[in-house]
Amino acid sequence: MAGLATAFGSGAMTNSIPEIEDAECILVTGSNTTENHPMIGSRILRAKEKGKKLIVVEPRRIHLAQFADIHARPRLGTDLAWINGLINIIFAEGWEDAEYIAARTEGVERLREKVAEYPPERVEAITGIDREMLHEMARLYATADRAAIVYAMGITQHTGGTDNVLALANLAMVTGNVGKRSAGVNPLRGQNNVQGACDMGGLPNVLTGYQSVTDPAVRKKFEQAWGLRSGLPAKPGLTVVEMANAAAEGAIKGMYVMAENPILSDPDANHTREALENLEFLVVQDIFLTETAQLADVVLPGSSFVERDGTVTSTDRSVQRMRKVIDPPGEARADWEIICEIARRCGGQGFRYASPGDVFAEMARLTPIYGGMSYERLENEWLRWPCRSADDPGTEFMHKDRFSRGKGVFTPVDYREPAEEPDEAYPFMLTTGRIMFHYHTGAQTRRSPSLEREVSENYVELNPQDAHGLGVHPGELIAVASRRGSIQVKAALTPTVPKGVVFIPFHFAESAANALTNRALDPVSKIPEFKVCAVSVARLVTL
Amino acid sequence: MKVSKEVRDIAEEILRQGQVGGVLGLSSEHGHVGPHLFSSTDDLGTLVLEPRYMLAKVCRMILADFPGERLGVVARGCDERALIEMAKLGQVDLSRLDLIGVACSEAQARECACPHPYPRRIDVGEPVQGVAFADTECAQQASEQDLVARQAFWTHAFSRCIKCYGCRNVCPVCICAECSLEDASWVARGKISPEISFHLIRAFHVADKCVGCGACDAACPVDIPLTRLYAQMREKMKEMFGYEIGLDVTNKSPLTTTLEEAPLHGL
Amino acid sequence: MDYRTVLTTCPYCGSGCGMYLPVLNGKLGEPIPAKTHPLSQGRLCIKGWSAHEHVASHDRLTKPLVKTGSGFKETTWDEALDLVVTRLLELRDRHGPDSLAFLVSAKCTNEENYLQQKLARAVFGTNNVDHCARL
Ligand code: SF4
Ligand code: SF4
Ligand code: SF4
Repeated sequence: MAGLATAFGSGAMTNSIPEIEDAECILVTGSNTTENHPMIGSRILRAKEKGKKLIVVEPRRIHLAQFADIHARPRLGTDLAWINGLINIIFAEGWEDAEYIAARTEGVERLREKVAEYPPERVEAITGIDREMLHEMARLYATADRAAIVYAMGITQHTGGTDNVLALANLAMVTGNVGKRSAGVNPLRGQNNVQGACDMGGLPNVLTGYQSVTDPAVRKKFEQAWGLRSGLPAKPGLTVVEMANAAAEGAIKGMYVMAENPILSDPDANHTREALENLEFLVVQDIFLTETAQLADVVLPGSSFVERDGTVTSTDRSVQRMRKVIDPPGEARADWEIICEIARRCGGQGFRYASPGDVFAEMARLTPIYGGMSYERLENEWLRWPCRSADDPGTEFMHKDRFSRGKGVFTPVDYREPAEEPDEAYPFMLTTGRIMFHYHTGAQTRRSPSLEREVSENYVELNPQDAHGLGVHPGELIAVASRRGSIQVKAALTPTVPKGVVFIPFHFAESAANALTNRALDPVSKIPEFKVCAVSVARLVTL
Repeated sequence: MKVSKEVRDIAEEILRQGQVGGVLGLSSEHGHVGPHLFSSTDDLGTLVLEPRYMLAKVCRMILADFPGERLGVVARGCDERALIEMAKLGQVDLSRLDLIGVACSEAQARECACPHPYPRRIDVGEPVQGVAFADTECAQQASEQDLVARQAFWTHAFSRCIKCYGCRNVCPVCICAECSLEDASWVARGKISPEISFHLIRAFHVADKCVGCGACDAACPVDIPLTRLYAQMREKMKEMFGYEIGLDVTNKSPLTTTLEEAPLHGL
Repeated sequence: MDYRTVLTTCPYCGSGCGMYLPVLNGKLGEPIPAKTHPLSQGRLCIKGWSAHEHVASHDRLTKPLVKTGSGFKETTWDEALDLVVTRLLELRDRHGPDSLAFLVSAKCTNEENYLQQKLARAVFGTNNVDHCARL
């Protein structure tokens, strides 16, 4: 989460999950929390029952919206404009926390100048949010004693996603809402261990705990600990979408994919498929023959969540044990054992571990933010990183007296139009996302009878007025096409989506939403623009 | 705690006598408490009584999988009532269970608004007075609020529902193999919040069986006070038919008897 | 009598809910939400309640597979790993470390992710390590 790391020095949720229900005001944006993080959504509903204020900024009328004090529905891809607009109103009304700004942040003057370019009239013109509503949003958020921002992919999955996050960080710091219990900026991470995968160095530019690969001292530490004779690579590697591009061009020739299904999860599925097919060698380790595994040269049967020991890190930085309950089926094996065996066969040193606990201990020694954790402590204590030493109780909310980077930094950011705007040929805006009943690419949930019973096929949400104009009936199979591909999908008519917008869940291989989405990347975070692209919607037969 | 010590002693005795394959109760390890089958006397040190888990469904599964064996179970009033209701539905064979009866404290009884905070045979603890329906929040709401206000309350509560099915999953008397809540002709699939039929169907289905254990309330992620609704139904069963749930296995629900067998008084 | 419960974490979203998974007579059962869990407090969403279902799916892979002209064929671990190791080393030696790429996973444990990036960096010498977190 590049934006937050720039502003605060760390990109994780600043609050813990339980704190959220005690925030005086909660601003939810770009997150369908009830469906994507149900047990965080339930905390928000509980806050509401306790009489706290709730602002939802989201084009779709999501479940949380009906409980909100304010539900603003900005045009897709215009988040930066309303966020800057709020900060502008806050300065104009004198609602900023001057003391906090002076003591804990830097760069406020440039921010003040920048947001002055976003008067309510202009924001209204860009976003469609009524200026009075905007003013009321600013008041509720800025005058609350403790206000928490909750956001997810709806904010980050844009070409301007990093800037959106920086803007939210600006908003929080201007009002002194970071570094307090129940006040903070909280990116919700999608999958059960996204946070952990990042923490563990599953990123091209950092080793564990966000230690940069470009820092010679960091590399030296790891080289010594791992007993390497040659040096670790110093140049940051490629991100997943860049990998696909490189594979398509022939620069990447071999790939080892562990329990991921990029064909369904990555943008522009056709391109991803071509890229993987172009590889000279692909090995996929998974529990099912996923769409990606089908392209592999070798498929290794891994284990499910109940078949191995380990830890995961939830979105609020809590590190928890996963425990082995039963043996894997047939000859399937624990994933950690498979990796170690491959490493040993390649002549790799230091891949002999008796158990995942040993792996954790090695990792913790090399990773300051996990440095104080061990399996023994995790048995008896609830630990959230940063937890730096054996007597460190972990961190409930971050940046308490100082930011991870020292002072919080304001970065003025500007609104840019989405990479692709609707036009005559593709007059609708498509946005994609998850739903309650499925998870990610559906590899697991679609094989779960209780979930498949609820929703077993893909659909496109279409506003009834748009449907009327097109002559589309409820449940009718229609064609949705973008510049990159086309799918056939059932129409669900619902005012949940505003006019001119369609929504498609991305869990379904049969009519993959990501056949349509755009590979255009945010220049900093390299997150593709899933949340907005232009599409056409048409009936298959015109009577 | 004194009470759990006494329960441990009794469990130890039943295990020693060797009549049961194990004693089902709660175990606390590393600060986390969950259901546990104590099959030897060695691990009884971890036996605790709080927080409560509804164990009747677990009993049913164990008895079904080990047909020849007997099972011990630590049972409060609600656990026993749940087992009795399950027995009426042919789900458990009470003669294969050895209950260690635990009476709840007054504070507990008040927290659960429990009408019978003790099982028929009490092995541990002293029985305290149950909470009369008239003294519950549910009765208060019924007397203080008019129909419109109550409807608004429930509409708002149900609109929070995220259709987790947790209320059904934990409920000891929700045991149908085919559940109407999953039937698309009653409740539209894949929709959040579900239609109000979801809640009304469940309420009617447990009307003559709900033992007021509160497991559904505790499992509800969005804090819907479900038992408040069911308590009213339970009270109606008492008013209309003089029927009390979970007290006597031979006393069948008036809603399941036919007119020829037993004319329904009060209708 | 064989009935046990094991405390673990929901495999789905990042909320990190806690659940006991029961095993009765060797069979995995429906999760029991852990009441002492500070994040989930004895509650789960429908995904958590169904988390055990995919485990027993008939689609589970139980043997290593290699692709042949006529589709996948089952093979031994030894053969499969041998092929993986030979081909990856060959590509590295011929085209350099950065001709390889590794995906870690938001569905795997910290330990597995740690090992996978260690494999990429320490054994193969590339920083081409990523996962679908941004997605
Ligand atoms: S409806 Fe609720 S209170 Fe009644 S028996 Fe079922 S779980 Fe217990
Ligand atoms: S437990 Fe609550 S949220 Fe879940 S289905 Fe029942 S009423 Fe709805
Ligand atoms: S039970 Fe639901 S909310 Fe909890 S971690 Fe699992 S998927 Fe997320």
